[in-house]
Amino acid sequence: MPKDHGIGASSKRREDVRFLTGKGVYTDDLALHGEVHAVMVRSTVAHGSIKAVGTARAAGMPGVLAVFTGEDFAAVGGNPAGWLINSRDGTPMREPKRPVLAHGKVRHVGDAYAAVVAETYEQARDAAQAVSDDSEITELPAIVDMAAAVANPGNRVHDEIPDNLCFDWGWIEDNRAAVDAAIKAAPHVTTLELVNNRLVPNAMEPRASIGEYFPGTGDYKLTTTSQNPHLTRLLIAAFVMGIPENKLQVVAPDVGGGFGSKIYHYGEEAVVLAAAKKLARPVRWTAERSESFLSDAHGRDHVTKIELACEKDGTFIAFRTETLANVGAYLSNFSTATPTFLHGTLMAGPYKVPNVYVNVKTVFTNTAPVDAYRGAGRPEATFSLERVVDKMCRELGLDPFEVRRKNLITKDMFPYTTPVGLAYDTGDYQATLDKAIAMADVAGFEARRAASAAKGKLRGMGLSTWIEACGIAPSHLVGVLGSRVGLYDAATVRVNATGSISVMTGAHSHGQGHETVFAQIVADKLGIPESSVEIVHGDTAKIPFGMGSYGSRSLAVCGVAMAKAVDKIIAKGKKIAAHMLEAAEGDITFEDGKFAVAGTDKAKTFGEIAFSAYVPHNYPLETLEPGLEETSFYDPANFTYPAGAYLCEVEVDAETGKVDIAAFRCADDFGNIMNPMIVEGQVHGGVGQGIGQALLENTHYDENGQLLTGSFMDYAMPRADDVPFYNVDYSCQTPCTHNPLGVKGCGEAGAIGSPPAVVNAVIDALHRGGHSHVTHIDMPVSPSRVWSAING
Amino acid sequence: MSEIAFLLNGTPVRVADDRPTRTLLDWLREDRGLSGTKEGCNEGDCGACTVMVTDDSGSRALNACILFLPQLHRKAVRTIEGIAGPNGALHPVQDEMIAHHGSQCGFCTPGFIVSMAVAHLNGSSDHDDNLAGNLCRCTGYAPIVRAAEAAAHRPVPDWMKADQDLSLPRMSPEGSGETSGLPGAFRPRDSDALAAWYLAHPDATLIAGATDVGLWVTKGLRDLAPVAFLNGVTDLQQIEQSGDQLHIGAGVTITDLLQAIGPLYPSFAGLLRRYGSVQVRNAATIGGNIANGSPIGDGPPALIALGATLHLRRGDEMRRLPLEQFFLDYRKQDREPGEFVAGISLPVSAPALRCYKISKRFDQDISALCGCFNVTVDAGIVTAARVAFGGMAGIPKRASATEAALIGKPWTRATAAAAAEAMALDFSPLSDMRASALYRMTAARNLVIRYFHDLEGLPVSVLEVGS
Repeated sequence: MPKDHGIGASSKRREDVRFLTGKGVYTDDLALHGEVHAVMVRSTVAHGSIKAVGTARAAGMPGVLAVFTGEDFAAVGGNPAGWLINSRDGTPMREPKRPVLAHGKVRHVGDAYAAVVAETYEQARDAAQAVSDDSEITELPAIVDMAAAVANPGNRVHDEIPDNLCFDWGWIEDNRAAVDAAIKAAPHVTTLELVNNRLVPNAMEPRASIGEYFPGTGDYKLTTTSQNPHLTRLLIAAFVMGIPENKLQVVAPDVGGGFGSKIYHYGEEAVVLAAAKKLARPVRWTAERSESFLSDAHGRDHVTKIELACEKDGTFIAFRTETLANVGAYLSNFSTATPTFLHGTLMAGPYKVPNVYVNVKTVFTNTAPVDAYRGAGRPEATFSLERVVDKMCRELGLDPFEVRRKNLITKDMFPYTTPVGLAYDTGDYQATLDKAIAMADVAGFEARRAASAAKGKLRGMGLSTWIEACGIAPSHLVGVLGSRVGLYDAATVRVNATGSISVMTGAHSHGQGHETVFAQIVADKLGIPESSVEIVHGDTAKIPFGMGSYGSRSLAVCGVAMAKAVDKIIAKGKKIAAHMLEAAEGDITFEDGKFAVAGTDKAKTFGEIAFSAYVPHNYPLETLEPGLEETSFYDPANFTYPAGAYLCEVEVDAETGKVDIAAFRCADDFGNIMNPMIVEGQVHGGVGQGIGQALLENTHYDENGQLLTGSFMDYAMPRADDVPFYNVDYSCQTPCTHNPLGVKGCGEAGAIGSPPAVVNAVIDALHRGGHSHVTHIDMPVSPSRVWSAING
Repeated sequence: MSEIAFLLNGTPVRVADDRPTRTLLDWLREDRGLSGTKEGCNEGDCGACTVMVTDDSGSRALNACILFLPQLHRKAVRTIEGIAGPNGALHPVQDEMIAHHGSQCGFCTPGFIVSMAVAHLNGSSDHDDNLAGNLCRCTGYAPIVRAAEAAAHRPVPDWMKADQDLSLPRMSPEGSGETSGLPGAFRPRDSDALAAWYLAHPDATLIAGATDVGLWVTKGLRDLAPVAFLNGVTDLQQIEQSGDQLHIGAGVTITDLLQAIGPLYPSFAGLLRRYGSVQVRNAATIGGNIANGSPIGDGPPALIALGATLHLRRGDEMRRLPLEQFFLDYRKQDREPGEFVAGISLPVSAPALRCYKISKRFDQDISALCGCFNVTVDAGIVTAARVAFGGMAGIPKRASATEAALIGKPWTRATAAAAAEAMALDFSPLSDMRASALYRMTAARNLVIRYFHDLEGLPVSVLEVGS
């Protein structure tokens, strides 16, 4: 029987009632006394030299309180890249300053070069238009295509970077010669060139920020749509504005989705803080959807050539990739880590391939910055790998199931060190593959194919066996890899005198259900009702520290910090209980919410111990401090490595090229499961986004750098009708070996594993339908692309 | 009387001295502090701002972001704050969303809940259709659809029925309120009043559903004054059959049109099912769709293929012309200053009408092309043909060379193929991000073949087509 509470139960989300009744409080829902409105003035050209910013007329318009330009922020710092990457020759990456407001040049359509603050939003909009009209910006040739950007050193996104290259990274450089030799000598080499299409994250809540300044104390407060308020505070305080961290409070209230795009600090946050100080009034800014399209960090955008060397029986010998990765006009905070350490380190996949070499050239272009988007680097790696494996199978006439089975790392091989620098702690990739095959009724496929054929449709089945490294943390490891911050996390468990519990976590919940799941864990460990536990997150003034939520790290890092803090509470409780029960500390047991003397009926409830800690009348004050509150900082020893097998079945209409997903099965290994309902929801959401990438979504800039897909009418987000009901299984569980909860991440899995399964299924359908000349179709696999491939 | 009155979550409210192009969304969030209704796009695409609006014709989901306050006069508005019961009891769709984990970040959730509650109230069980106007980025939709399915079996709560017994007529008698609206806005009650006023104000903007005009304000920041709101012009909202003609007033919404024509022209109904989303169809009118003159509007090709006659009115002068003659050039129509679209009439019998929409996505997507066909075959010979396309030229346009290649010929696949070839004489489509010229031309030609198979009874459905 499933559990009805605590760890492993599908506890219903406590967040839901406020969201379902419209009582959630998101940044733009806050109304502050005396607030004024900021509107950004954004470049309408992709690349331009700012000759003059016309502020004079705007400054005199009704209601206008202040006009800011890049000049106002010239003296403050830039928004930094969080990871320093070195090129193959050892030189550090090129790191142009990313100013709060563009100064000297504008570098992408939507690049903000001025900001207007006025009493009303409409006044600010009008004045912003005036600034735009009155400014003189000389348009320069736009640099949009990555290959052209590298090939044309005269046309520069940043004047100081002649070839528009941020870095030329090799991973692992020591593997290079051996991989080259192995490929040269291999009996078979499959080559595939592919594009990992650029995506716009499109969290449903647009970015928004409110700046406040309190002249009496000199304190600032920023309320903002962030996945990681402490990281935002750190970036603003230490790098951009030079505000002491203890004078800046950052609050991220309810946040309407992030998917990576709200990890980063954006210039608007600095603008509203600066304006709030100047005007001593709250200053609010909320993005329009058009601004979100133009200025949120985009995702993916890789052009890759991958080679797979193997024996004639499909046994892998080596992989080699060459990738151009677009970073856009500026380096966003994680933009240098995403195409490198979140991508190259995963290029061995779940396979026992002897050698791998990855080369990534990261290119500046006159497009919006590109950074981590759900999966971040790992979907790109998985797509390249799973597509080339499928192509190899077709070239050699091998069964893609058996080839994968033959090459998968087996469960007796863990811990397993890959040729690209990771040590997988545990897994059972055969088990998830078997599970997916069983779920999909592979044996019945031929009958389903015949039924589709009778309707005039081509049916195909596509497999993807994926792995990822998540729970982005180990500080010593990420430090070696170039991270400029640590990636531990922290939690404080405060037992209040009357027994209720407040847990302050560094993870931020913007859809993941932390308020529910984290409470389940604490309640389970303490043997108390979940309703006694309150999860506090999203406010730097309330919580000790935290690096936030991304990289499927909330549970595996912050959740573990919280569990460790609970362990400290229990340990202290035992000391108090030993005193009260007049027993040796070593004889005290804690079970089902009771501290007891082993082998006796002497016991104290958790509530009695908590009360005693705050009313210490009978308490070992000489050896133990009163109070019951513990903080734990947790820095894991390794990433966690969720893995799985996804099977997609599609029907293709060869006449029109339309692809319908007939079934989608996921067999995942996430280690121990804290709340099955929420895990399933995370997989659904990730697969939905993966299917969006595979079939619908594309970000299209024209040759002038104008974004043509800048609205929901032009950028095809999946709607309810576009995605199937998924079958999700997480019963294959190999608990993570190095965290005490035995958990792995699940938030990104669906987006990582699903795109190649979809595309492999489409190619399979075309081959079974006699269109065997089609070896690859780039995403999104739109009807026109499928149709062109068939007829082309 | 420069004020409007409506029910807000069951409570009468009056608004005076506000801009006539103030959107309901801004008013709710800024003036009423009702922040449960969210702004996700401000263009009517995402549905985060969905509200329920009830009038004599029933309860409908609408996008508050492109709904102007005067459009609500004498109606009842229910926002997310009014979906749970007065005592806090959750609505069945809210209960089931919890049970099925249908909410994650919660931002799109209020819009989904309102869409689901309206569908629940109306007994509408095509959940993909009911939810096509709501975007969610977190859940992958399946949990939401499952919640809607589960809720469908539960009774409608009493409080959801309250709006349908409107106390508004008592609250705000229509009286002589021809100008009842907001300052700067005219709100006529019949087409005579509209015709007189528009003749005197030929530069005015007429606002019916505001699904396009709304964006002129929210995105274009245009000052539209003077404006007239047509939602009170009830005589333009009628559908009447007389003899073999069906007369459809310009103010008929796409939703009402869809219901009315379903039995007559099932293929046209299938096309309209893919027109925008539920929220858009509930607001948009067929007159607006025609008058707007967009080359990619989905109504005109079907209406032209049907042989629609357009009724225009200027002052007291009425004018009729075949619909295809109304579209002169890109965004240029045969419409005099002060003249407005009053309605269309259609032959009630068109058994061979077929409509095909090609777009990237099934729901809520702009057509790459839209092709509509209507032939008459007598004793195996094509005796009449009407073929019209959207997306193939700067205007919705008849394919006269294609038609000529059909008429007088035996109704065979060979004839269809020859007609497809003739299409090159009719169109020189553009390449843009929706489709290349080659794709458009090839797909358009294939639609002629598809049409042949369709009439021959082979399994071809508008629901299968996509680009």
